[in-house]
Amino acid sequence: MSADKLRQCFSRSLGIPLERVTEDLAYNMIKEWDSVGHMALVAEIEGEFDVMFDTDDILGMSTVATAREILTRYGVGFDAA
Amino acid sequence: MLLEGRVAVVTGASRGIGAAIARAFAAEGATLLLCARGEGVEAVARDLTSAERPVRAMRGDVSDPVFARELITSARKEHGRLDVLVNNAGILRQGLIGMTSADQMRELLDVNVLAVMTLTQYAVRVMEAGRFPSVVNLASIAGTQGMEGVTAYSASKAAVVGYTLSSAKELAPKGVRVNAIAPGFIDTDMVRGVSADWYERRLQSIRMGRIGTPEDVAGVAVFLASDLSRYVTGQVIGVDGSMMS
Repeated sequence: MSADKLRQCFSRSLGIPLERVTEDLAYNMIKEWDSVGHMALVAEIEGEFDVMFDTDDILGMSTVATAREILTRYGVGFDAA
Repeated sequence: MLLEGRVAVVTGASRGIGAAIARAFAAEGATLLLCARGEGVEAVARDLTSAERPVRAMRGDVSDPVFARELITSARKEHGRLDVLVNNAGILRQGLIGMTSADQMRELLDVNVLAVMTLTQYAVRVMEAGRFPSVVNLASIAGTQGMEGVTAYSASKAAVVGYTLSSAKELAPKGVRVNAIAPGFIDTDMVRGVSADWYERRLQSIRMGRIGTPEDVAGVAVFLASDLSRYVTGQVIGVDGSMMS
């Protein structure tokens, strides 16, 4: 469930279809995920999961997979794939 | 009321300019979350609490990044957003150039500069563009004009000015306004802690002939926090009675 919510965050904040949100989608790989899109993405994820990231985590959130890893550190549970 | 429905965080709100800003914001209908390191902030919150608008107080050090995050997170959890951040918390240390220790310099930069930057980083992420969000930073005439005897403090406040001007440019497209107030000589415990000679010289340098009050500063903070200033960003407003620095 959390994995779906995370993908939806990417889709909503970056304005891209859900099917484009893959595990290896990376920062600057698509034009929508630039520095401006990144801040929108961070705000979306923080709001959805009710967390507030450290700046280092924001800087390190470079793929969908790393976003999930970071969220896990903040206590968000993800089902095993 | 100018701040009806606006959620505001005021740092350093236990006394002086911060407490005056909290009172002025409450009078204009703001929903407040106050913080300070020391005792007194709870009393200010209690005094300003009404049946319609409880005022919350948090005790902590804004130069602690963990506390800074907790503060902004609390605003979001309790109110869903933040509309106004007043970065007022600050410290003053007197010291001539050769008499300022490295620890004093670091302390000034930690509280007066790094905390402002950290809180702003967190705050802008919970601000909504359509609500004319506003960050108000407390600088100083010492930072805009320079002042002998408080060189490290002046440097820290000049950094606040630079941060204000640059972050205003960066955040304007996001709809977040960032402005600074540069008070002159204001009647607070902070300036009463300086030497009698320094105090008297500063007082003599004010062309309007009186020391400023915390309320003089709070009025400008209300303006900058409200929609009245919705097209104002990247400005440093002096509140100094035409003081000669």
